[in-house]
Amino acid sequence: MSYLLAIDTTAGTGVALLKDGMVVAEVQQDQGVKHAEQIGDSLAQVFATTGLRPQAIDLVAVGRGPALFTGLRVGIAAGIMFAEAAGAQLCGVVSHDAIALSLYTSDGNLPEHPLFIHTDARRGEVYWALYGGLDSNHLPIVLAGPSVGKYEDVVAALTAEHGELTDRTGGATAAWVARLAELQLAAGATNPDVSALYLRAPDATQPKPNQLFGKRVSG
Amino acid sequence: MPQFTIRKAGLADLPAIMQLEQASFPTDAWSEASMRDELVSPHTEYVLLVRLTPGSAGYEVFGYAGLSKLSGSEQSDVQTVAIADSVRGKGYGRRLMEHLIQLARRKHARQLFLEVRADNPVAHGLYVSLGFTEIDRRKGYYQPDGVDAIVMCLELPAEALPEPIVLGIESSCDETGVGIVRGGTLLANVISSSMDLHARFGGVVPEVAARAHLEALQPTLRQALAEAKITLDEVDAIAVANGPGLAGALMVGVGAAKALSVGLGKPIYAVNHLVGHVGADVLERGQVEVPTIALLVSGGHTSLLLVRDILDDVELLGETIDDAAGEAFDKVARVLGLKYPGGPEIDRAASEGDPNAIRFPRGLTLPKDMEKHRYDFSFSGLKTAVARWVEVKVDADEEFSIPDVAASFREAVVDVLVTKAVNACLDHKVPRLLLGGGVVANRRLREVAAERCAKHGIELRIPAFSLCTDNGAMIAALGAQLVMAGRAPSDLGFGADSTLPVTTVQTV
Repeated sequence: MSYLLAIDTTAGTGVALLKDGMVVAEVQQDQGVKHAEQIGDSLAQVFATTGLRPQAIDLVAVGRGPALFTGLRVGIAAGIMFAEAAGAQLCGVVSHDAIALSLYTSDGNLPEHPLFIHTDARRGEVYWALYGGLDSNHLPIVLAGPSVGKYEDVVAALTAEHGELTDRTGGATAAWVARLAELQLAAGATNPDVSALYLRAPDATQPKPNQLFGKRVSG
Repeated sequence: MPQFTIRKAGLADLPAIMQLEQASFPTDAWSEASMRDELVSPHTEYVLLVRLTPGSAGYEVFGYAGLSKLSGSEQSDVQTVAIADSVRGKGYGRRLMEHLIQLARRKHARQLFLEVRADNPVAHGLYVSLGFTEIDRRKGYYQPDGVDAIVMCLELPAEALPEPIVLGIESSCDETGVGIVRGGTLLANVISSSMDLHARFGGVVPEVAARAHLEALQPTLRQALAEAKITLDEVDAIAVANGPGLAGALMVGVGAAKALSVGLGKPIYAVNHLVGHVGADVLERGQVEVPTIALLVSGGHTSLLLVRDILDDVELLGETIDDAAGEAFDKVARVLGLKYPGGPEIDRAASEGDPNAIRFPRGLTLPKDMEKHRYDFSFSGLKTAVARWVEVKVDADEEFSIPDVAASFREAVVDVLVTKAVNACLDHKVPRLLLGGGVVANRRLREVAAERCAKHGIELRIPAFSLCTDNGAMIAALGAQLVMAGRAPSDLGFGADSTLPVTTVQTV
């Protein structure tokens, strides 16, 4: 028997438990920015409903984004520490890959054009990736991305290169992060890298040497 | 809703206590002299049920209770409990009693005794519900009424975890800290700082700090466990700083700590970062001597606290109304062309300068400010004054001494910090001052604090620097104090609170 725990905080707060490839418990809360508040109870709940001990987990999979930074970090931090506590392996997945897997698996009417998945990146931009179906291991084939850019610009560039696109937006859920990681595990293709996919440099400007007015911090 | 809280009683509370004593016990009230003895005795501790007066340091007394415990003895006694008529039947008597029980536990008592009038079924019922059992009756004990006393006792079994191992996580600013303590003993204190990453920006950039926390988590945790020579499954509880600080940075620690708590099946305690600085003293002295004034000075905070009880009674006397002191050092360093962080650079430059060369302004020290902002700080005006002074010299193409400017600026900061902290000690008759925060590394601050404290007979406490700067050990230490006091863990639903007030020692 193998147990896999997935955590994803790229959209809502999601925790899912997979037993031999089947989702046996899932908590997916979509209340915007309450990641830090919700992560603990969500984790506790999947173990309470299954009666499983955390030490039974073999692999912890976390969604690495790209996504809004603050929430994203809560899930990755939790994943890293949970793996330490449970003595489990740790792997990271691109959250857009999980969305692609969910669409290819669940949406029978998906047109056969390249699948363009985009999520809100604020500042008039989107996080996006482009997919070309599933490979022989049922893993999404990445044609381009993940990256960040203005929606219109990205669409224009991708259409010029790939022709007509199937345009979808959505959010990753922990259950699909779990299924993706399980497929990667079967294919021997898990990625131990759990670093956050920020795709943008931190907002900060270097002051001139003699300039007085720095950014105020309270902390 | 009026805010009721419990705080330690002092001699200044004697009149209020006596008023309540006479109203509560019309036939057999203690004399003022007896009560005074109780309040000053080294073997007793009295606590008050008070209602705080909003916007001031004042409060009204609505109840009190006293505990007696001789050191070396395993027995303790409830001396008295009184609640004002106007707030009876609202559960405040229970709160006072629960507080006394915790106090007795913290003083390592194994039994807590009390006597109750046989004609007071309400009080008797309360004690029974708290676990007290009747062990004796004294005929006609209460005179002149001739009422029997029921002697009751509560067994306080030795805690299952007398010295809990607590792992603390700190991520409120630019330091990722993981500390491990066993009770009041330090086992490990590992700090990973992102200071170098902020250097080119001249100050802490919140997003840079948050990113660095995420990357530092795993290695910092592993190093702390190695240093403490323990494995994670030996940890009894997790503690985490959930504020005040940078929200995005705090959330990394909160997410990490919650996952550890669930993954290990161990309780979690969300604690106040600033009170954690006070808790650091536990690791050097075994306990925090109270009451104490605490001056916490860092790049993010400049706060003056009155700590009457580290778990229950911490009051913010004042704080900076603009820049933190450490921030002022950074900004002035930039004006002088010195590197970041500015504190050590200015310290170095100042060592060759004359602190009295230039009289820079002391913020919020004018008589009118001292009325409204007696314990508040302001460094923004000072920073601007230094910048203007330098600007004028540069524009006039005049030579000036950077060491003199650095020394004079440093003197102004230190003078205000120490003056206000010592004032707080003297005003509140508190004979102790505890320093905390990264700016405590400043040599001149330590010197001046030592001089002025000695002059006024104030005991000065400066923990080791690794415990002064932001660190996980202080968070673990405060968490351990909560565990040992029998406090319930925090509910898993707590969040990060960037402006968490110091009155909230633990987010329940």
